[in-house]
Amino acid sequence: MSEGPQVAAVEAPAGVEPEIELADASPEALLELFEARGWGDGLPLVPPTQERVERMLASVGGEAAAGEVVATLPPRFGRATRHSLAVNAVLAGCPEAVFPVLVSAVRALGDPELNLRGVNATTHPVAPLVIVHGEVVARAGFNAGLGTFGPGNRANATLGRAMRLVLLHIAGARPGDGDASTQGQPSKYAYCIAENAEANPWESYPRSQGVDAPSAVTVYCGENPHNFHDMENSEPGPILDKAASVMATLGCNNAPISSAEFFVVLGPEHAATLAGSGWTRRDVQSYLFERARIPAGEFRRAFEVTVRRPWFEALRDADPMPITDHPDNIRVLVAGGPGKHSCVIPSWGMTRSVTLPLEP
Amino acid sequence: MDPIRIYSPEGAVGRPTRALAASPAVLTGLRLGILDNGKPNAAPLMERMGEQLAQRMNLELVGVFRKGSAATPCEEPLLVEIAESCDLVLTGSAD
Repeated sequence: MSEGPQVAAVEAPAGVEPEIELADASPEALLELFEARGWGDGLPLVPPTQERVERMLASVGGEAAAGEVVATLPPRFGRATRHSLAVNAVLAGCPEAVFPVLVSAVRALGDPELNLRGVNATTHPVAPLVIVHGEVVARAGFNAGLGTFGPGNRANATLGRAMRLVLLHIAGARPGDGDASTQGQPSKYAYCIAENAEANPWESYPRSQGVDAPSAVTVYCGENPHNFHDMENSEPGPILDKAASVMATLGCNNAPISSAEFFVVLGPEHAATLAGSGWTRRDVQSYLFERARIPAGEFRRAFEVTVRRPWFEALRDADPMPITDHPDNIRVLVAGGPGKHSCVIPSWGMTRSVTLPLEP
Repeated sequence: MDPIRIYSPEGAVGRPTRALAASPAVLTGLRLGILDNGKPNAAPLMERMGEQLAQRMNLELVGVFRKGSAATPCEEPLLVEIAESCDLVLTGSAD
């Protein structure tokens, strides 16, 4: 077995990560070093040299702000400074234009409502999804259209990957002692999409959440997306019944935790059909709340420990029990391109999505 | 190829880690509490262990405490109550 490349630590000035001397600049040497130290996501990396990291930092105020602690991330309680975030952005292959999105997304990770400690500690496969909104989508080259979940777009792929590297390195969310997920999930490699503003028939998602900024970032901790298609109907009801059918399952954490959110990511064609019938985002939420239900008795047979509001106890076994305790928990977003497909993203449960304005 | 310098990706640790309290040398006569993490099988397992321990080591079994949710840390007031009423606590994580 290899003992790894020869490395030597170099003392760092305050607010800047320590430097490591690497035997050579080959991709193999870097991968070997990262493997030996338990770092990385298993894929090839870009060497975070001083020159590259400085270029990355220049997109958010340069070296002057490099030492700012954006968030302290559990379970390791690593300090995510702009400098350490820039190092991970370089490793992930990020273009400089996406770096402000990473800084804002990590700030969102630090919000107590998001409960990152639980997200990393749970045996559930949850992964933070980054949703990019507004002017930065076009400016930084994010793909909000066909194939927004991937693959093939550098901004989406590398921003999502940089988030995971931040979690692995700074938060210490290594599978095992830092991330207890029983099986993991593919979106733990990279999970980033963009809101399709041009195809969105309603107000922008951040504005619906009270964030009025030219660009914004949402972080939501959930499962992989579950697709549903409808090519048959021109009325909202039958299309949304398919979304409700995906939501009303015993096989997701939303079932035992009634305060949990869902994200319903509508493809533009489904969104156009709904809006063309005069339906607002609130109408979509209200209808899904009404339709996404499980017989209360079936639910009671499935779970011993639940976190549901007291009024659920009053339901009789034959009553249709809402999967969530309020329509506001059903978050409606438009993303993707042509085609009759949309998706539902169930939650981990004890977490709330966070939407923040983009870093100035 | 020449050597290059790269930055560490980890970031400094923002909070010092705390050392665990030393285990008591003798258990006899101490007060034992159980902190249930809220998972379906946690309480039956730990209650049984608590009963056996209390019987074998002549401990006083104070009772079972339950935190708000398996997904969040134990609430501070409950930790204070446990610290005041127990010398030993049996707890666990995961399922």
